[in-house]
Amino acid sequence: MMDITKLTAYETVKRIKSGEIGVKETLLSYLKKIEEREDLIKTFILIDRDRAIKKAEELDQLEHKEGLLFGLPVAIKDNINVYGYEATAGSKILKGYVSLYDASVVESIKRENGIILGKTNCDEFAMGSSTENSAFFPTRNPVNLEYVPGGSSGGSAACVAAEEVAIAIGSDTGGSIREPAAFCGVVGLKPTYGRVSRYGLIAFASSLDVIGPLSKDVRDAALMLNVIAGFDAHDETTVDIKVDDYLDILEGNIKGKKIGVIKEVMDFEVQKELKDALESSIQKLKGEGCEILEISIPYLKYALPSYYIIAPSEASSNLARFDGVRYGYESDGAYLREFYENTRTEGFGDEVKRRILIGTFALSEGYFEDYYLKASKVRRIIEMDFENAFEQVDALILPTTATTAFKLNEKKSPLEMYMTDIFTIPVNLAGLPAISVPAGTDKAGLPVGVQLVGKWFEEALLLRIAHHIEE
Amino acid sequence: MYKPTIGLEIHLQLMTESKIFCSCSTEFAAKPNTHICPVCIGLPGALPVLNEKVIEYGVMLGIALNCTINEVSSFYRKNYFYPDLPKGYQITQYAIPLAKDGFLEIVTENQRKMIRIEKAHIEEDSGKSIHTGDITESEYSFIDFNRSGVPLMEIVTYPDIESPDEAYEFLNLLRSIARYLGVSTGDMEKGALRCDVNISVSKDEVMGTKVEIKNLNSFRSVKRALEYEIKRQTKLIEEGRTVVKETRHFDEKDGTTKAMRTKEELNDYRYFPEPDLPPLIISGDFIEEIGQRIPELPNQKMRRFIEDYSLSIDYARSIAYVPSFSKYFESIIAFTGKPREVANFIMVNISNYLNETGKDIEEVPFGKEEFKELLDLIDSKIISLNIAKNVLDDSIRSGKSPSEIVREKGLSQVTDEDTLRSMIVEVLKENEMQVRQYLAGKTKVIGFLVGAVMKKSGGKANPDLVNKILLKELETLRQ
Amino acid sequence: MSKFDIEKVERLAGLKLKDDERERIKRDIDEIINYFDILKEVDTDGIDPLVYTKWTRLTLRNDEVHTGLTLEEIKKNRKLFGNNFFRVRRIIGE
Ligand SMILES: [Zn+2]
Repeated sequence: MMDITKLTAYETVKRIKSGEIGVKETLLSYLKKIEEREDLIKTFILIDRDRAIKKAEELDQLEHKEGLLFGLPVAIKDNINVYGYEATAGSKILKGYVSLYDASVVESIKRENGIILGKTNCDEFAMGSSTENSAFFPTRNPVNLEYVPGGSSGGSAACVAAEEVAIAIGSDTGGSIREPAAFCGVVGLKPTYGRVSRYGLIAFASSLDVIGPLSKDVRDAALMLNVIAGFDAHDETTVDIKVDDYLDILEGNIKGKKIGVIKEVMDFEVQKELKDALESSIQKLKGEGCEILEISIPYLKYALPSYYIIAPSEASSNLARFDGVRYGYESDGAYLREFYENTRTEGFGDEVKRRILIGTFALSEGYFEDYYLKASKVRRIIEMDFENAFEQVDALILPTTATTAFKLNEKKSPLEMYMTDIFTIPVNLAGLPAISVPAGTDKAGLPVGVQLVGKWFEEALLLRIAHHIEE
Repeated sequence: MYKPTIGLEIHLQLMTESKIFCSCSTEFAAKPNTHICPVCIGLPGALPVLNEKVIEYGVMLGIALNCTINEVSSFYRKNYFYPDLPKGYQITQYAIPLAKDGFLEIVTENQRKMIRIEKAHIEEDSGKSIHTGDITESEYSFIDFNRSGVPLMEIVTYPDIESPDEAYEFLNLLRSIARYLGVSTGDMEKGALRCDVNISVSKDEVMGTKVEIKNLNSFRSVKRALEYEIKRQTKLIEEGRTVVKETRHFDEKDGTTKAMRTKEELNDYRYFPEPDLPPLIISGDFIEEIGQRIPELPNQKMRRFIEDYSLSIDYARSIAYVPSFSKYFESIIAFTGKPREVANFIMVNISNYLNETGKDIEEVPFGKEEFKELLDLIDSKIISLNIAKNVLDDSIRSGKSPSEIVREKGLSQVTDEDTLRSMIVEVLKENEMQVRQYLAGKTKVIGFLVGAVMKKSGGKANPDLVNKILLKELETLRQ
Repeated sequence: MSKFDIEKVERLAGLKLKDDERERIKRDIDEIINYFDILKEVDTDGIDPLVYTKWTRLTLRNDEVHTGLTLEEIKKNRKLFGNNFFRVRRIIGE
């Protein structure tokens, strides 16, 4: 008998529509898989079997099997609102908060008849690179349980890698989709900033946050992008630029496309297997008729400090609403100030508190110019670097991370942890689309990822190139 | 020489149907927390979307205040914790406001004066905190978020105001302009207009210390608070004591200001660009189009009423500042002429009627036809001006036309000379003393005698004729 | 001497750390803030800060009223008091 959970999302929907497999049948296979593996990996914060089964039964009754995701179970990162479910963003401060509305991406998935299966674990407020910062429990890498799945969308990456779901939604502020995708050996797509609505995504850093899919292959990423991309009247930062049919364009050739290799990447220490994987991807592209050019992003190394000022600054303001008054965790105090301080100090974890404090400092009187403003100017310079690069090439290729997954509790200092994101962060600062695709394993058997970066709003070409290098 | 320097900071609610960043209703006095949504109570993940009407109204007001409209302006976050501020920040404008560098010209006691406006920007209101009993004593405060996200325009003047009267007049004019434009009701009691003031008193050109006063609930409170504060600061300076830079609360009950008893809070709002809202771009065409929709404003109207119709400043202002009054006034005089008489009737008789009945001027059942009739009765000397006032009062209340009232009540003037003469003879007999005084050269008593005749006639005697005949009769007596 | 006055920043941020926690977190933050100094190497004269990508355009919403949340929904997250008010501890104290 066929194991449905081995299918890609695209194949699953196709077979459901052809009547080969049923919606409930599909869902039950995934639920069975979850039962087998979830205790070890712990990817979900919430699973609603009953509501999912009920929805599946409803869909099975339909005569017309319409919708791009018809009958497909989808997992949603817990920092995204799904009506009626708790949305904790991995934080104690949001424990008990019930979403009173659907995020726009969730609305789109529901409209295309996808089934929301549950909410996945993440670093608290998406701040982290290992999912160890979840207030509830760490998620483990399905490839090797001693290792982290990456983060912050670690739950979403791990549940796809563990075949507990065919596709999941994550969010990426500085690499939070691509890094866990690389660590778990799945595909992770971060669309252009403004391509996918953020409405309903619990904000970490508003000018950097992007929602995107984690999937088994590039085709599935294209399928999900078809569902979630486009202008949204609820999000003033979405852009009204034509959305392609990303499935349709996937197959064409990439002959003559110019691919840039960033010179400055090699200034950083990169694990040997990752360099090798990058090289073999480059060879593949050459084989497809692409032209490889060395290009320069001179200010690449300043991306990390710039990001770690801007993101916490915005976060310090975005997280001010968690005051215990209207929802979520509430402590007590004799008077208001004490109530706030107790609620927030008890409700937030260490990393979140660190970033709130850094951000508050960076915006405060006397430091605003030297920190927030300086970082925002450097951000402009980095964006200009990319703009220059894209005058010469159609896409860039670089490693997703400098190393493969690390062990739980291995990284000690916060700064050391921040360095994990050196190759993903610059892309967020510039707002560009990027994708991480699996490119083999290291000698420990841990997955290796290669990252492609495309021009603004040109996800179509980006996906096509990615499709050619994936295994 | 002590001289006060006053600046105003006014928050005007723009009268949109929905809030500035979400589609919740702006209805006043609704049941608590019934006009709220994910955006305006700051649920995680909700995002603001700007209401186009707010921009339209903001630009309109900016132009009316003679401001330059910034074609590109931007939104910032002002960060601070307060329970009625659901997001922990207020979305406002900071570096580049919607409008800047304007002015309003006010008129007080025949003095014209320019008050410069530094800026006018749009922002969201916060919710409302309700404290049971004393704020320092009650165990809990209660929050209603219905107001959260209501659109406001904040208008900041330069410290060009030099007296409580000027402050009062500035507010009065500003509110009137907002009403003419239809952008705000300016009702202070409904929170649609709020005003904080900054005041310092300088002595012999030495700048004083700026004190801020809050909790001003009416224009009268603004005036009273300023009067009190000028006295207080002057006294401190006279006594050689220092004025403390602080925020004071006005106490409505005793008319004093008191220092606010709060713990020293860190004031660092950490303004930074609101990443959820790209810059607001307004085209020159849009500004021009809005500019063309601005009607004649109350200060222009007032000047016209004074210059063209010779109305007194008080009457001109009272009529010009209330859109419904000036509309009524102008529709009548376009038909009848005689603006001074009409203004007088409106400000005395019709105002009284409105006060008594609580009605709006639109509901007054006395239009241009009735006015014409009334003014014709006066013109053709059928009734006197005094009788006309009674006829007007009667007509509004009974719904009868002025001529009908004159006819039914027999109010037409007595012009028959024989009738008048016999009345006058009687009056002269009854007032022998005054007659003697008159004949002795004290001609002033003629007024008394005319009055007596008028009284005897029930006010209907034609005063000119009475005068003429009376003088003749007195001369006869002299001989 | 560190320029990072943690107690002042805590106050602005609505946090109050325990003493041992404060020490540890301050150490981390000092290290991070020192690392930021590398940005001083970048000449940013005449450069506009980047907050919004060049693609974003503000779109305006029609002034239309839609129903928002019901009291029942709000109560799923917080108990309301009196005539359906949110309730907080008294504002002034200490
Ligand atoms: Zn609302």
